[in-house]
Amino acid sequence: MDPIDHILIVDDDREIRQMLADYLQKNGLRTSVAGDGREMRAALETTPVDLIVLDVMMPGDDGLVLCRNLRASKHRAIPVLMLTARDDATDRIVGLEMGADDYVVKPFSARELLARIKAVIRRTRMLPPNLQVTEASRMLAFGQWRLDTTARHLLDPQDTVVALSGAEFRLLRVFLDHPQRILSRDQLLNLTQGREAENFDRSIDLLVSRLRQRLMDDAREQTYIKTVRSEGYVFSVPVTLLGGDA
Amino acid sequence: MNESRAGFIERWMPRTIASRLYLILSVGLLLAYGLSFGLLFYERYVAAMSLMLDTLERDIATSVAVLDRLPAAERGDWLTRLQRGNYRYILGPGETDGPLVSGRAQRVTRLIGEALGERFSVHGNTTSTTPERYQVHLTLSDGQPLTIEITPGAAPVAQWLPVVLVVQLGVLLLCTWAAVRLTTRPLARLADAAASLNPSAGGQHLQEGGPVEVAKAVSAFNAMQDRIADHLAERLRILAAISHDLQTPLTRMTLRTEGMDESHERDKLLGDLDEMQHLVREGVAYARSAHSASEPPRRVDPDAFLDSLVLDYQDAGKAVTMAGRVGAPVMTRPHALRRVLGNLVDNAIKYAGAAELRIDGGHGRPVSIAVLDRGPGIPDDELDAVMQPFYRLEASRNRGTGGAGLGLAIAQQLTLSIGGSLELRNREGGGLQVTLTIEGRDG
Repeated sequence: MDPIDHILIVDDDREIRQMLADYLQKNGLRTSVAGDGREMRAALETTPVDLIVLDVMMPGDDGLVLCRNLRASKHRAIPVLMLTARDDATDRIVGLEMGADDYVVKPFSARELLARIKAVIRRTRMLPPNLQVTEASRMLAFGQWRLDTTARHLLDPQDTVVALSGAEFRLLRVFLDHPQRILSRDQLLNLTQGREAENFDRSIDLLVSRLRQRLMDDAREQTYIKTVRSEGYVFSVPVTLLGGDA
Repeated sequence: MNESRAGFIERWMPRTIASRLYLILSVGLLLAYGLSFGLLFYERYVAAMSLMLDTLERDIATSVAVLDRLPAAERGDWLTRLQRGNYRYILGPGETDGPLVSGRAQRVTRLIGEALGERFSVHGNTTSTTPERYQVHLTLSDGQPLTIEITPGAAPVAQWLPVVLVVQLGVLLLCTWAAVRLTTRPLARLADAAASLNPSAGGQHLQEGGPVEVAKAVSAFNAMQDRIADHLAERLRILAAISHDLQTPLTRMTLRTEGMDESHERDKLLGDLDEMQHLVREGVAYARSAHSASEPPRRVDPDAFLDSLVLDYQDAGKAVTMAGRVGAPVMTRPHALRRVLGNLVDNAIKYAGAAELRIDGGHGRPVSIAVLDRGPGIPDDELDAVMQPFYRLEASRNRGTGGAGLGLAIAQQLTLSIGGSLELRNREGGGLQVTLTIEGRDG
């Protein structure tokens, strides 16, 4: 991280936000803390912030509301990492739908949080997505397929759910976020690095061929993902955002 | 004594209430009808007999007196006028062989003799036994022999009577059938409802109609269903509240412990915290699993579904493999199904280090997904118990491997909520096989 990144920690529990701040500072980050939405807005006005760590469960405006407001404000570009209390896929997703970039389930370890913070910053710096998936429009359509970004699965024209593995979903998401743009293997590897911090050692090529199979994309025809010799891959089909229930 | 009677009833009575009621009512009705029919028959018989004997006595006395007075040449013309339904007169000796066989014949002969008085001597003999026929012989005063041939009538009961009885019996049996059906049908409906009771699915209420007793039972059942649903909801609330309130102190403890200097104690504390977090998460997951019916069923490609699941495990460096293919979509709740399979595979990995998935069925047949391992298995007598929440095998009581004991309970709950079934059995050659079967309805 070139300049020192500034992290704003918003949590109603004084001890937690203080301990987090201490830990992050010890690991070379700059931090500010806020106890609620009002303090968060005040902090945002005073100094530029590189990432906000936002607790979901807070009295008054909770984290989801704050995150949504943030996305509608001039600070919409600041990545948000949610601290959620419940470990359930539906709740996990809600945070992302509200515009959060990632989440960590409470209780978490500080080390885990730091890793996520770094991953989110790296991801957003490298390639900001050009389609903003929101609460209202969570379906990405391309070719004959639709990707449900909430449930993390594909839908074929007959509405059949075609499941994706975590790595496949992440790779597809990267392609869909940057359609018609050549992505190098290094970029793809960085962008798809599992947030689960799993030991992901498959090569991008293998993952691409798996995804092609999933999309029933013939490796020779290459309708969706085209190989660009010595450069990488390009997602060659236009992607559109569909409204809420589509 | 009582027990042996109960055993007797159990052994010899049909199994269902309906057939028991049929049996009791039909046997009772048949007995009652038989008795009253017999009584009626006997009464009619006795009355008819005495009436017949009465008239016979007077009739024959008069007829014989008339024939006796008539000139011998005119007697033949009168014979037909004097005859009755069950006796006629024959001028002549008739058949005189043999004795009187039946008591009734002897009585009739004696009565005739008494009615005719001293002037005529009478003797009788049976000429045919089936149908019974006998003759009474006497000699008129001018010496001409006269024979009275008596053919006792059949049962003095109208021909239509048995028919009416049978029809009545039929009507009553029909009524019995209707009554039994009326009584047992609501019972069956109640039993069905109780069997398919799933309070977490919002519990469909039975319609409260019909007779008062049935309506009462149904409303009691519905109330019970509501109470169960309330209890479940409360359990969920409590578990969720506890676990939620535990999150913040646990987070604080984790952060604080991590801030401590590296030491053996610190690692142990972190391990304990990890376990507590696991327990809390599992607890909430279990409470939620009872309320997971909210997920709508979707058309799912089962092959891609399993494949992606297996790949996720392989990407995480776990030894999970898969065999088999369905090749047709199925209707199911993908999120719940994923959670079930995840728990089963996690278990297999925990106890055996590896898991193998086999999928089969589809195309209208039920889809079965088996998760197999070569771990220690589960003692046969504990196969059912391990589905209970917080149940842990004796051997794994120490928490090192035991976990919270909720994995299978959650899997079981969720399987029920997606209308599937879960079957555990030990494999030949060691290890456990858990088979999840879901309806193979094509999408």
